[in-house]
Amino acid sequence: MASVRAASRLLSKRILSKTKAVPAAVQGSRDFHFSIYGKKTSAKVSDDISTQYPVVDHEFDAVVVGAGGAGLRAAFGLSEAGFNTACITKLFPTRSHTVAAQGGINAALGNMEEDDWRWHFYDTVKGSDWLGDQDAIHYMTEQAPAAVVELENFGMPFSRTEEGKIYQRAFGGQSLKYGKGGQAHRCCCVADRTGHSLLHTLYGRSLRYDTSYFVEYFALDLLMENGECKGVIALCMEDGSIHRFRAKNTVIATGGYGRTYFSCTSAHTSTGDGNAMVTRAGLPCQDLEFVQFHPTGIYGAGCLITEGCRGEGGILVNSEGERFMERYAPNAKDLASRDVVSRSMTIEIREGRGVGPEKDHVYLQLTHLPPQQLATRLPGISETAMIFAGVDVTKDPIPVLPTVHYNMGGIPTNYRGQVITYTEGSDKVVPGLYACGESACASVHGANRLGANSLLDLVVFGRACALTIAEENKPGEKLSPLAPSAGEESVANLDKLRYANGSLRTSEIRLNMQKTMQAHAAVFRTGSVLKEGCEKMDAVYQTLADIKTFDRGIVWNTDLVESLELQNLMLNGVQTINSAEQRKESRGAHAREDFKDRLDEYDYSKPLTGQEKKPFEQHWRKHTMSTVDVKTGKVSLVYRPVIDTSLDEQECAHVPPAIRSY
Amino acid sequence: MLSVLRLCAPARTPVCVLTGCSRAASGSVKDKQPLKKAKTPQGRLDSPEEESRAALQKFPDDVNPVTKEKGGPRGPEPTRYGDWERKGRCYDF
Repeated sequence: MASVRAASRLLSKRILSKTKAVPAAVQGSRDFHFSIYGKKTSAKVSDDISTQYPVVDHEFDAVVVGAGGAGLRAAFGLSEAGFNTACITKLFPTRSHTVAAQGGINAALGNMEEDDWRWHFYDTVKGSDWLGDQDAIHYMTEQAPAAVVELENFGMPFSRTEEGKIYQRAFGGQSLKYGKGGQAHRCCCVADRTGHSLLHTLYGRSLRYDTSYFVEYFALDLLMENGECKGVIALCMEDGSIHRFRAKNTVIATGGYGRTYFSCTSAHTSTGDGNAMVTRAGLPCQDLEFVQFHPTGIYGAGCLITEGCRGEGGILVNSEGERFMERYAPNAKDLASRDVVSRSMTIEIREGRGVGPEKDHVYLQLTHLPPQQLATRLPGISETAMIFAGVDVTKDPIPVLPTVHYNMGGIPTNYRGQVITYTEGSDKVVPGLYACGESACASVHGANRLGANSLLDLVVFGRACALTIAEENKPGEKLSPLAPSAGEESVANLDKLRYANGSLRTSEIRLNMQKTMQAHAAVFRTGSVLKEGCEKMDAVYQTLADIKTFDRGIVWNTDLVESLELQNLMLNGVQTINSAEQRKESRGAHAREDFKDRLDEYDYSKPLTGQEKKPFEQHWRKHTMSTVDVKTGKVSLVYRPVIDTSLDEQECAHVPPAIRSY
Repeated sequence: MLSVLRLCAPARTPVCVLTGCSRAASGSVKDKQPLKKAKTPQGRLDSPEEESRAALQKFPDDVNPVTKEKGGPRGPEPTRYGDWERKGRCYDF
């Protein structure tokens, strides 16, 4: 009864053309008319896939899943081009995780010194450890100045120089003259809240166009037919109705999947929904084993502590009170590079010298530093430590452990944003499906992302998806027919989860998965650890069948939504760990103890003359394409070559592989 | 119309006078003690926050005196340690 009243209360807020009492969700939905802001829409009720849930069918020219930086840019780019666009998001647009990005955005504007986007191209290719597709990197770095100027024209308040040009600072491994000209100043920012400002600017701009926003709708699955994507099926969290969005073009911009790990900087909503939707559709995901870690993230909170702490004299300490970095890096000690520090911390934890009740983290000690020096050199750190770790930084050490920050891998696309599969030796476009942002893998970040490049990635490829769709389609095109039973399995899965009555709660399975991933698929990777991790993850995957949910309602059922998110996380997790186990080399963020070198087709540390090119199967400069059999949890891997040519060799020569050293 | 309103207005005030209104009229609201914040986590952390906020004060005219950057981040240069740091937290690297 309460649910009926709640449903009718919520629905009456929308402009209903027929003022009939809305029946309860279980009683069928023949008279339910859904109207968006009074506009005439083609929303129709259907009984085709379920008589238990009210299903509403919508028709649009384009559907965007996700309303972060990339999703919003794609959505209003499409609306600007005249397409009838729907933007489905499980969060209000300004709550997407883009808002937490405080670092800047790179572009070769040349305001501080003479700059050339080709040098930015070189830096990005080198940063990706030559796993990035050079045509996509060419596209991104060439479009970067135009993208930043466009953002500025939308009203984003970048910081300025005295002359009024956008102020650029040195950040993120950027150099001049292909690495030979010293530090480049390319990072543009908005005080200390670039991502927040970007998201709000894009949201404000998007309100000028008539994109239909479906806020707090959880996208369940893609509607695929004959290998073509014909739309999305989503759950309205507010009233529990199912919505099928039929569209000729679907753009996925759902973000990363940091929550697969125990310690991550991502929001609780970063659950890799887009990657999982694509996996369930039988399409591959690319390079999921490349996950970017930071050594000192606060235990439990996930907030990162700056390397400046160690720079000012802070030390990492294990349970015995020993400054363990002296053993791993005798010269650099705590100032060793990030991956060395992360690996050392993980080895200490694995060998039983971790601290805390579960011995799963280490301490960062700043107590020996004079408080006055801390306050002047690192203002605000005492507040940070108190809020996030609950410690007084002058008296107690801060608990830290390696933390996930970014996922380089995702849905494979070409430089235009179209999703591709790799069959019979070549890339094939999946008609109707596009991806952009952190959920996509274009691949511009390759094996390692450079700082301040990801915000650029969002806007450039969000716009690229919109442009590609506008080039190849016309607004108002008739939709191809879709089987009336499309989306049945998604609703069946939803129903099964809603009434699940196993023995393990969602939170328990999720914690098991997170601890397994943190212990086995984190920074310290070696054959035996990864294999053990793969088996454990497989076991955790099988426990999904034993899940227990408690909330049987349909209105705002967060238990159900968290369980759906757990299914998505699990698919991402098994692909990550299996891809990592198979890749027998160290490249970028994927570093293995048993295979410490990069294995390319030539040995680039020696002169190339006289060297024989290794066949494709014997080297590792290739993308991993992983698919999962959803019923069994078994991961299959295929490999795809890296694109080594830029879009225009005359304009911008590609960068031949070399040893990466800074 | 207006006369009706004028009649109503004075008639209303005695009925719905709030203690706040009369105090504002008499000027004694300024002497009233401010409500003490309960010792919630927010209340407990108030003092440390104020101290560190002093460390991140706005530059005069919002222009950084060293770099002449207008509208940039407050406090020391965020990228001075190689990552993007603010208040001891690292946001990008």
